[in-house]
Amino acid sequence: MPDGRKVTLKVGFAEQLRDIEVQLPAGEPKPWDARSELQVIGKPHPRLEAPLKVSGAAKYTHDIVPPNALWAAVLRSPHACAVVEAIDVAPAKGLPGVSAVLALVKPGERVIFAGQDIAAVAAKTPEQADAALRAIAVTYKPEAFVVDTAAAMQDGAPLVHRGKVQERSTEGDEPGAGGSAGQRGNIRTSPSMKKGDAHKGLRMAKVSHEATYTTQVHTHSALETHSIVVQWDGPKQATVWCSTQGIFSVRDEFAEVFELGPADVRVHTDFLGGGFGAKFGASAPGSRMGFIAGELARQAGAPVRLLLDRKEEHLCTGNRPDSRQHVKLGAGPNGQLTAIHVVAHGTAGIGTGAGVGRNAFGIYSRCPNILVESHDVFTHGGPGTAMRAPGHPQGAFALELALDELAKKLKLDPIDLRLQHDEHPVRRHQFELGRKQFGWDEGRKQAAVLRDKNARVRRGFGVAASIWGDFGRGKAVVATVSVARDGSVEVKNGLQDIGGGITTVVAQVVAEVLQRPVEAVRVRLGDSELGPSVGSGGSVTTASVTPAVRAAAEAVKEQLTALAAKQLDRKPEEVTWSGGQARAGSKSIAWAELCKKIEGEAVVATGTRPETYGAYPVKFMGGNSYQIAGVQFAEVRVDTWTGVVAVERVLAIHDCGKVMNPLTCRSQVQGGVILGTSYALTEQRVMDRVRGVMLNPNLESYKIAGARDVPRAIDVVFTPVDTGANNTGAIGIGEPSTIPTAAAIACAVHDALGVAVRDLPLTPDRVLAALGVVPTRGAS
Amino acid sequence: MQPFVLSRPKTLAEAGDLARAQPQDSALRAGGIDLIDRMKEGLEAPARLIELRWLGESEAVMRALGPDGEGLQIGALVTLAQLAGHEGLGEAYAALRQAAGSAATPTIRNAATLGGNLLQRPRCWYFRHADLVCLKKGGSACLAVSGENKYHAILGGGPSFIVHPSTLACALTALDAQVVIRGTEARTLPIAELFVTPKQDAKREHALQPGEVLVRAILPKPGAEQRSGYAAVKEKQSHDWPLAEAAVKMSLQSGVMTDVRVVLGHVAPIPWRSREAEAALEGKPASEALFAEAAKAALAEARPLRDNAYKIPLAQGLLREVLHRVAGVPLPE
Repeated sequence: MPDGRKVTLKVGFAEQLRDIEVQLPAGEPKPWDARSELQVIGKPHPRLEAPLKVSGAAKYTHDIVPPNALWAAVLRSPHACAVVEAIDVAPAKGLPGVSAVLALVKPGERVIFAGQDIAAVAAKTPEQADAALRAIAVTYKPEAFVVDTAAAMQDGAPLVHRGKVQERSTEGDEPGAGGSAGQRGNIRTSPSMKKGDAHKGLRMAKVSHEATYTTQVHTHSALETHSIVVQWDGPKQATVWCSTQGIFSVRDEFAEVFELGPADVRVHTDFLGGGFGAKFGASAPGSRMGFIAGELARQAGAPVRLLLDRKEEHLCTGNRPDSRQHVKLGAGPNGQLTAIHVVAHGTAGIGTGAGVGRNAFGIYSRCPNILVESHDVFTHGGPGTAMRAPGHPQGAFALELALDELAKKLKLDPIDLRLQHDEHPVRRHQFELGRKQFGWDEGRKQAAVLRDKNARVRRGFGVAASIWGDFGRGKAVVATVSVARDGSVEVKNGLQDIGGGITTVVAQVVAEVLQRPVEAVRVRLGDSELGPSVGSGGSVTTASVTPAVRAAAEAVKEQLTALAAKQLDRKPEEVTWSGGQARAGSKSIAWAELCKKIEGEAVVATGTRPETYGAYPVKFMGGNSYQIAGVQFAEVRVDTWTGVVAVERVLAIHDCGKVMNPLTCRSQVQGGVILGTSYALTEQRVMDRVRGVMLNPNLESYKIAGARDVPRAIDVVFTPVDTGANNTGAIGIGEPSTIPTAAAIACAVHDALGVAVRDLPLTPDRVLAALGVVPTRGAS
Repeated sequence: MQPFVLSRPKTLAEAGDLARAQPQDSALRAGGIDLIDRMKEGLEAPARLIELRWLGESEAVMRALGPDGEGLQIGALVTLAQLAGHEGLGEAYAALRQAAGSAATPTIRNAATLGGNLLQRPRCWYFRHADLVCLKKGGSACLAVSGENKYHAILGGGPSFIVHPSTLACALTALDAQVVIRGTEARTLPIAELFVTPKQDAKREHALQPGEVLVRAILPKPGAEQRSGYAAVKEKQSHDWPLAEAAVKMSLQSGVMTDVRVVLGHVAPIPWRSREAEAALEGKPASEALFAEAAKAALAEARPLRDNAYKIPLAQGLLREVLHRVAGVPLPE
């Protein structure tokens, strides 16, 4: 492989392609670009693991039952805030089936949310474990608490934390987000995002709009709850099965907690039932699961399974913080924005991370004056954590709906207002494409007719934009590809498939390079002994892993080329590959024959991915990575008699770099749209403000969209971009695809009604209130 | 869940004896949809479950679904799925068919029974919360009053503000159904008398005594040109509880409505028959304006809590819609 060389790449999108020169690091294959003719990459391929999943043969962490494994259960605080006066776990110890009991708090300790760890047991059966928990005696002295964001901001509100708060960040957080600019009472200020002078811009404005927008707490609600199974293989060695988005984060935390070397902890995640940002590390954000399972297993001398139930999953495993965003927009007479000012407060419970993302700051960048000020408000609730595009869906909702309200005052079409201020050429292209494909102009006219007639059933059309960065990580992944004497091909890496389909994509990359059928590539992952890899957060997996896999496959191919040259009695540079055969002049050797000539067991090579070296055509937030673009259109139907909103159609137009597998990529976008629809229409954590507990820790009154609630049609369009970022051209899609959905739906509801519903979710009570038909209390 | 004894009697007499032997500590199980949930949530821990699904041929009435004289009988073990697909429930009884088809999910409808649906416990999140002691669980106050009451009652509330959870109850009340109950002796009640208001007894929702079994419901012979309909408004269209329901029955001859029944669900602790709306409609020609007036009358006495005043316009809109559909008056665009 040649050392560091300069190559010319054809990059860009649609009609806007151009050649750029890129300096490649040593050993790096020439990136696939707009000129590359690929046979497997970019073609739809069903998931390789699909038969295992649909037949139930796939083993998730919940399915792992080592011999003699015990069942663990955790006693959780029923109080939002209380001091533990006494705790006696002894009565649990002698109960039938109980092997280990653990107090997790000491007398005098203060617990600060309902659901916090108090004690844990391990027993033979779940029923015995529950009985043991009931036998544990705890005396609490309840203290004043606050679970409501607005109330927690008041002077004199009960303090959640009595000292400076340590931020907890994971691979699920957006790179560059976070940090603190001070803390007062329950309010902790995040660093501002600032450009120009927003206050001045507002004073200069001829037309302005000002309103407050709120969003709710959203829980991750992965189908598979947080779960960990621990088996000690010796006093200083453990095997851990964990439902995680980052097996190395589990390994490292577990090793740290029990003072082991990372190499003495082996972590498995063969299959994962969703994570959405809440599954990093051996513990859940609000429960020390790794310690609990590990310590119970050590005390009991037997493997322990700790699988949370749905209630625990809602209470202590993270959530998307709520938000209360005060938005001020100013515009000149022709609609040019003079200022965007957002002041956001939100609660991540006892945790941090309630910022509202980069939407207001990064998308409509032709506005010269922007100020986004975010604050975490501490409340006595379970900690928030990264959730699919942290901050962005909330930020998109407030900004985009405010823009539509401003556009109405300016008598401007919402798309025109956006095009006037968005500098990203791909996103501009997406707006124009969607305008035609969605039937925007005609639809908006029809919506206006129904609105003017005061029709019972209205229609509305809305649009919103997405912003994310290509955070693909360099030097993080080491992939191994091997070709054995029997011709079999294997790729290994310690990554986990969160469900996006990386297993299949990895096989496609190897198949492309080695010209083998995709099904012939055996993919081994989900094991920390298979080589370093990244966590599945920040939409980095495909962009981080596939270039390393390709580098390894190319290195193996180089060795096979040398072997073929030897067999064909030619020089390696004379050997070409086609149809899986090595050829030189008139001679060729078939794959199986060539592999038989391998000396030893196999040809093996590893590959890594260099740092990102291209970001065409637009950089994200002034960094060195590409800014991922996306635009979504929504059409809604609103019944003004009942307030029910139905989402008829969503058109999701996204840029995902070079699409590896259109089938799995489309599926991710559909998932993002469905998650966003559910967030827009119904999902909401409900806390009792008087008693401080969550009232809907289930999937009955915590309402996740079902088959009849998802859009009748979800059309996914990719606008492929060659960014030159890495050797496969892959960038992320998981997070960008959920950012604008709720915003587009809210904008469509505004179009339908002529008034904005400024609070998510868009439930009938809010719609009827916006229509002005709900009597104030006692007035009926 | 705590261990329990499972009994599978062949006769209702045996079932009744078992229940009376442990009046506080046994539970009758039909579909088991709600009961097993309550046991899993730790709300109840009966020592004995008495399964009704194993009753023998002698109790065939429990599974009957068909004509009863000139009316229709529905055994307590008939499933919601059977009702939703039953041809005998024509235009006159359409409200019941529509209600059965609207509840829960296909999976649940295949197991849930008429009896279980009528006698299930409320879905109030305070009642269902294992750590909270509400009025229904022996506490001193209905926690919804000071708490989060978006889904609670706007009519007939106090001292408890639950809404009655049964979807079939709303339709059966509109259809003037009767229920047959067998204990040590049999009795037949108008369905309205099956339900207990919180003012009568805040701890219960139905009038059955321990050992009594609801055997069947009877729909009377339909009136001339009788028609009926049911609809619900839900936040979520798949698997959700209604925010409000409306069931309407009427005889419609030459455009004039008589023998009108209007019942609202999920707005009150019992299926809420609105005599005000019925009076507004009775004997009058069907029209859009009249429906709006009747809907207003139906909610005139509503007394919302902090978060549920929206149910007033919502229930009005829903009732108007059902009236339009039942009377065949086209809905405005």
